Amino acid sequence: MNLKCLLSVALTFICLSITGCESVEAWERGTLAKPEMAIEGDALEATLNNHIYFSKEASNGGHSATGGGCGCN
Amino acid sequence: MTLLVLIVVNLIFTCVNAIAADVGDIALDVSLPVLISSEQTQQVSLNQYRGQIVYLDFWASWCPPCLVSMPIMNELRNRLQSQGIAFEVVAVNVDSDPEDGMDFLEEKPVDFVVLSDPQGKTPAAYKIKGMPTSYLINPAGVIEFSHEGFRPGDGEKIEEEILKLLENSQ
Repeated sequence: MNLKCLLSVALTFICLSITGCESVEAWERGTLAKPEMAIEGDALEATLNNHIYFSKEASNGGHSATGGGCGCN
Repeated sequence: MTLLVLIVVNLIFTCVNAIAADVGDIALDVSLPVLISSEQTQQVSLNQYRGQIVYLDFWASWCPPCLVSMPIMNELRNRLQSQGIAFEVVAVNVDSDPEDGMDFLEEKPVDFVVLSDPQGKTPAAYKIKGMPTSYLINPAGVIEFSHEGFRPGDGEKIEEEILKLLENSQ
């Protein structure tokens, strides 16, 4: 088997593997929406930190998502 | 040549994943058990509601906008029905543990039928992208309007769509 043929097979396998990647669907996000799954554990502390951050940086947004992880915002 | 074949194969796989229930499609039938029922085996089918305008809503107890929409849609449904409008809400709860949905409904009961789909087969069939997702289905069973999320003012927007649909079907 020459190198070109081997590369083609490898590329085919990689491409098919990519299409097989599992994604968490919108209706399966119940566990992800739990408070303990939040990156920042304390919502109040996170709000304060964000407030300080955007006051100092004169910028807002782009670093956290709102809502309960339901993909609707 | 090999690359071309690979691109085509990839495109086919991607396209298969992208097809979703859309405006103008016949709404796929949903036949599921009722979430809270005296008879646990009671099945309800979406096709039972042919001849009425149906608002099909996929929701879960862990999704805050879904919970906001429930009492609003309940009030809208009762108000339109009291005016003699053939309108019904069919909600599908997609909580993997149906108890979570039941707990919410015990606290804030609704008058419309709530079905349970813990395996998520129906949202998968409709290929919904976010929660909540709702569809407005005309009396012939065709999807006329779809809506994702629920923000302040969306209740009014949905009511407008229902009234528009009502005008067109008369």
